[in-house]
Order: sequence, then structure tokens, then C-alpha cells
Amino acid sequence: MEAAQESKIATLAGAAALVPDGAHVALGGFAIARNAMAFARELIRQGRRGLTISQGICGLESDLLAGAGAVERVIYGGGSLDKFGLLICINRLIEQRQIVAEAYSGLALTFKFLAGALGLPFMPIRSIRASDVLARAREVAPDQVGEVTCPFTGEPLLVLRALAPDVAVLQVQEADALGNARIYGPRWDNWEAARAARGVIVIAEEIVPTDAIRDWPEMTLIPGHRVQAVVPLAYGAHPTALYHWYDYDAEHLQEYAAAAQDPASLPRYLDRYVFGARDHEAYLERVGGRDRLARLATGEEIGYAPGGEVRAPR
Amino acid sequence: MRDAGGGGNGFTMAEVMVAAGAREIADGQVVVVGIGIPLVSAVLAKRTHAPNMTLLLELGVVDSDPRQLGVGNADARIWERATAFTSTLDVMGTVLHRGLVDIGFLGALEVDPYGNMNSTEVPLGGGRIRRFGGSGGGNDMASLARRTIIIARHEPRKICATLYHNTSPGHLEGGDARRRAGLPGGGPWRVITDKGVFGFHPETRRMVPLSLHPGITAEAFREATGFPLEVPPDLPVTPAPTTAQLKLIREEIDPGRAFTGA
Repeated sequence: MEAAQESKIATLAGAAALVPDGAHVALGGFAIARNAMAFARELIRQGRRGLTISQGICGLESDLLAGAGAVERVIYGGGSLDKFGLLICINRLIEQRQIVAEAYSGLALTFKFLAGALGLPFMPIRSIRASDVLARAREVAPDQVGEVTCPFTGEPLLVLRALAPDVAVLQVQEADALGNARIYGPRWDNWEAARAARGVIVIAEEIVPTDAIRDWPEMTLIPGHRVQAVVPLAYGAHPTALYHWYDYDAEHLQEYAAAAQDPASLPRYLDRYVFGARDHEAYLERVGGRDRLARLATGEEIGYAPGGEVRAPR
Repeated sequence: MRDAGGGGNGFTMAEVMVAAGAREIADGQVVVVGIGIPLVSAVLAKRTHAPNMTLLLELGVVDSDPRQLGVGNADARIWERATAFTSTLDVMGTVLHRGLVDIGFLGALEVDPYGNMNSTEVPLGGGRIRRFGGSGGGNDMASLARRTIIIARHEPRKICATLYHNTSPGHLEGGDARRRAGLPGGGPWRVITDKGVFGFHPETRRMVPLSLHPGITAEAFREATGFPLEVPPDLPVTPAPTTAQLKLIREEIDPGRAFTGA
């Protein structure tokens, strides 16, 4: 008899409990695409504090975590909520010096993850030199940038220290119970971040049979042996977009942006959508239920919701 | 922005900027674009004189041909009809860092006379700051592309003498400072504002006006610039967008007028 491989299926609460206070978490969203929103909301419900976030381009999940007071340091290349706004909470907390901003460029973060993924101590890079991005990084994180001389050409090279997050949290479209994960659409720095981290938590919109994974193994971006836990969760990225599954929820993003602008109204948003919704199912009811969510469904071929441009305020 | 063409059926300044940007892109070039006017310009170029241009987005989208422009890089509308979905490492690493990008086309909050750009933060007084989007792929494009084309609003505080924060390097202090600093890319080539187009002096690498947009006087151009600037009286007028370009922009590329309306 064939011995069965062990399932890594976990609940949202169980997976969030794997991330302790003060952990370094790499997050996989990009602005308002494929953000691990349900996971961020659960970390907030569990009262997580003192997190270090690393992310090439920060977006809504990191901004919400920051707004809820869970974040101490952001290691990032930049970010926004696209036309819905800047990183509203992260920026305010940086301005108030309550969050330390360790800022690089998008490619620099990718290179730092890549060095970590390869088990190398550092990676040379030809951008960010001769800029205040570098000057500021030297001030904020003097142990993260350095210079070496190329042993072959004598060229002086700027080098970035490897990043090794405790855990990477990736929102994906499909995974199996073993953690083999597929991502549809562009992958930004997810491949590097997942491999740089010591563990990976996958939030999967759909669970597919392992036989289906074995039928198309070239579709697997993150192999299961690197993954700690898989959380099956429909609409886990809401209100951000999950390519080919659902579009971003423009109305809700506007509601968030308006609430986040005002530190006095942010607690009301958190009460309504995070603390007041005891779990993800309750959250989905609060944002309008399945009927309303079905309107975000994407077209078969185009990957976004058909029926005209979803416009954001300028 | 006002109706630059006058008479209601004219064109907007944003459309002049889009056409000016498109003009800088040659067929066959590899272009990394930021969101907004750079994207509209690149799509316009691809649908007109540059069908063999390769458009790249920093998150790993190759050669898309979008029908809608969406709300930003993360919007799948601008990924549509791509030939490859890859990654930041592929686009910004193996193409841009490798030295294979002809044009990095991006917007900036503030630009100084040497094309250095700020998109990180500005001072508010009393030691306080206001934070913006940061580098993203901007520093990488400015450092590594063969040419950088910059879009900025033309106000004295935006086209300014000194930056509070140099997010993305231009020609640094001018002359050969950029080469001495070891930056591989060629640096800023054009700055396209809502009042005109700047190039850079071949030796000093300081910004020089090349053309004024239709209806903009030399005086208005000078007054909107935050550093002393000589504006020759015989400067050409930036070519107005053609009827064919306007039709494409309004009917196909940006029918919602999200980027080219006002």
C-alpha cells in the first residue's frame, strides 16, 4: 500500500498563529493585485504586533496591517494603492516616525530576495547608486549595503545583503493540499521571496487535486516541499484583484481609502470589517455577500471584470 | 489642463504630452513604462509608427496591447494581450539591468535642472515631511535604461532648482558626473511637461527648452520653471497631435479620458 503524503491544509486562524509577534514577513501582493487580505485581517484580529514587512511593491495588505498598528519596520521598494491612493497608513506612520522605512527600489528588493533564495550573502546591483535611496538606506540599515571589488575586472560593485524573511505569505489562485502552488498572471517577486523565506504560507482560492498538479507540473511556481501551510479560502484577496478569478472591488477600495485618510475613522473601518467580522465568512457578508462578490467575476479570456472601465477617483 | 487647441474641438495639454512622448519612441525599441501618460504614449506609438516596439511593465508583463488603461500597474486591464507573463527579475533584471532597455519612461513629482527626480517625499516645514510612492521601478529605470523620458507637471515647485530627495538619478551634478558615478544607463533624454519639452545640453547636461506647447508663451514657460532659464525667442511649437492620433487616443486608447481628459 502506498503511504499517503501529509496534507498541509490549515485554517486561516491556524496559519496566522504560525506568525509570532516581531516576525519578519514577506508579503506577496503588488499594490492592489493578489494581496493576502484575509490573512492580514486575521493577523490583526489576533493582535499581532512588531512585524517587519518585506515586499517589493507594498499595497493594501501591508497598509492595513500598518494602520492597525501591527508593523514596526517596512523593507520595500515603494508602493501605492494605484489610483485609489498612496500607501495611506504606511506613509502617515513613516511621517510620524512610528514605522521605520527601509526603502530601496523594486529591483533591489528582488535582488535581496534572490540572494536569500540562493543562500548567498549578498548580490551586486547597478541601480540605486548615486541616489538618496542609497544614502537613506545606509543611514537606516548600515548593515545592508556595502561595496566589493570584482575579482575579475576590478570594477567596484555596490552590494545588497540577502534578505531571509521568517515566512512568506502568498495569495495564489490554486494549490493542492501538499502546498504545490500555481500563480496565474505576472509573478513580480513572488518566486524569489518564497524561496528566500524560511517558511511559506499559501492562501489558495481553490484547492486542486494533487493529480492535477502532477498532470501539469510546469504550472507549479512554489513546490510543496517549501510550504508550511495551505489555507483554502474563497475571496481571500478581496478587495484586491485575483487575476482570472475576480477583479478589485473599486467601491470597497474607495471606502478604505476614505477611512484610512482620517486616523479617527480608521478604527471604525477596522471595527466593521476586521474585529466586528469574527471570521472571513462574516467579512464576506459585511462587504455585501456572495451576490455582490459575483459581480467582480472576471471574463473568461480577459482576466478582469468585463462591462467597462472600473474607474477610481483621481 | 485647459483646452490647448481652443474652440472646444481642440486638444488637451495631456494629449499634446502623449503625442510628444510617442514621438520619442522608435519602432523596434524596448520600453519600460510607468502608469499614466507614459503608458498612453507607448500604446499610441505602438498603434501608429512603432508596431515592433516591446512594451514592458515592471511587475512582469511583456508586450501587452491593452484595450483599457485601468488604474495602475496592478490592473489586469493593462496586461491584456501580453505575449508573456514573467516577473520583476525577468523584466527589470534580465532586460533592464542587463542593459537591453532603450527607453525608461516615467513620471516624477519633482525634477531638477539635471533631470534628477524625486518621487519619495517633500518637506512640509517644521521638520515634517509628506511621503509619496517612493522609487518602485523608477530608480532602476533612471539608472539603467539607455534613455530616460520624464513626465512632470510644470510648476516652480516641481521643475525646481534642488530636490529634497533624489529618488532616481538624472545627470547628477551635470557634465560627466553620471558616468563617473558608475551609472550604466545614458540618463535623462527628454522632460515633457504640460508647458513644453526639455532636452539636455550635450556637455553641461543641464535642461534646455526644446519646444513650447501650443499657446504657451516663453514668459509663461520661464515663470513656471523653478530655476533661471533662458528661453530663446525662436523656440518651435511642440507639434499638435494629429487628427489620426486624437481619434486613436479618444476612441480606442483612453475613451474614459482617465489620463488625457483635463
